[in-house]
Amino acid sequence: MAEPARFYFEDVVLHGVLETPAMTVTEAHVALYAGLSHDLPVEPGAVPEILPLCLTVGLGWRVPQPPLAVLAFMGFEWHALAPVRVGDTIHSRSRTAMKRAMREGGVVIEERQVINQRGEVVHEGKFTFLVAKRPAA
Amino acid sequence: MTEPSRRFFEDIEVGEEYESPGRTVTEADIVIFAGLSGDYNVLHTDAEFMKSSIFGERIAHGLLGLAIQAGLFTRAAQPYATLAFLGLRWKFRGPIKIGDTIRVHAKVSAKKETDKRDRGVVTVERRVLNQRGEVVQEGETDLLVERRAGA
Repeated sequence: MAEPARFYFEDVVLHGVLETPAMTVTEAHVALYAGLSHDLPVEPGAVPEILPLCLTVGLGWRVPQPPLAVLAFMGFEWHALAPVRVGDTIHSRSRTAMKRAMREGGVVIEERQVINQRGEVVHEGKFTFLVAKRPAA
Repeated sequence: MTEPSRRFFEDIEVGEEYESPGRTVTEADIVIFAGLSGDYNVLHTDAEFMKSSIFGERIAHGLLGLAIQAGLFTRAAQPYATLAFLGLRWKFRGPIKIGDTIRVHAKVSAKKETDKRDRGVVTVERRVLNQRGEVVQEGETDLLVERRAGA
């Protein structure tokens, strides 16, 4: 069986922009998230701020390129600019802000925004990933 | 049961520390988180692939650890009169593996006034520790907290 395609450090395009499909945030998402984490919504209809962050990482895989060969998620910073409510439909846009080769793999910094159905940027931040280099053929 | 009283900006002191109970992270947590988030990366879902990785086995999603610590924090500290979560800076220091028991140690590191007189920003440093006392995640969160009415 052939190895599934992966997107390696060498394939990452500096300043490349990716747009994900959108997803409607439902009561079911909030209930599953709250049950899993015990991080509870503050009032009916509210969405705990960490949930859109979790959903944007999942949406980030649904782009027209093979999955990024992530060795480790190293860290991130995140700003909640406006609330996300149940019923909102969010998608995300990311842009490669920096890539730096290391001995083992390379560091990729990605700027990411979460955008709602009105085009408002509700959350934004920067993710730092350690990405594998293409294995020698 | 009475609601625990919420603590206002004035009540919170820089240097306060909180220790949460522990929570064992299970395979079920990882499977549910993959389903919820849509993050099916092989790191978290392919036991065979991960045998040959540096971790030797599947690891929890970093953001699952973040979500669990957020829940643990609510069990460690009397609730704040939080108006909004403003943001965080976070580092993943080591893997959380299936069966690891994590807890959160938190400390109020700063309080900042804002332009609006009815609220302030409280910064909480947090460390997520495993059963061996190793820091697996750490960072800072900024919370917008209400002041007492009429203050």
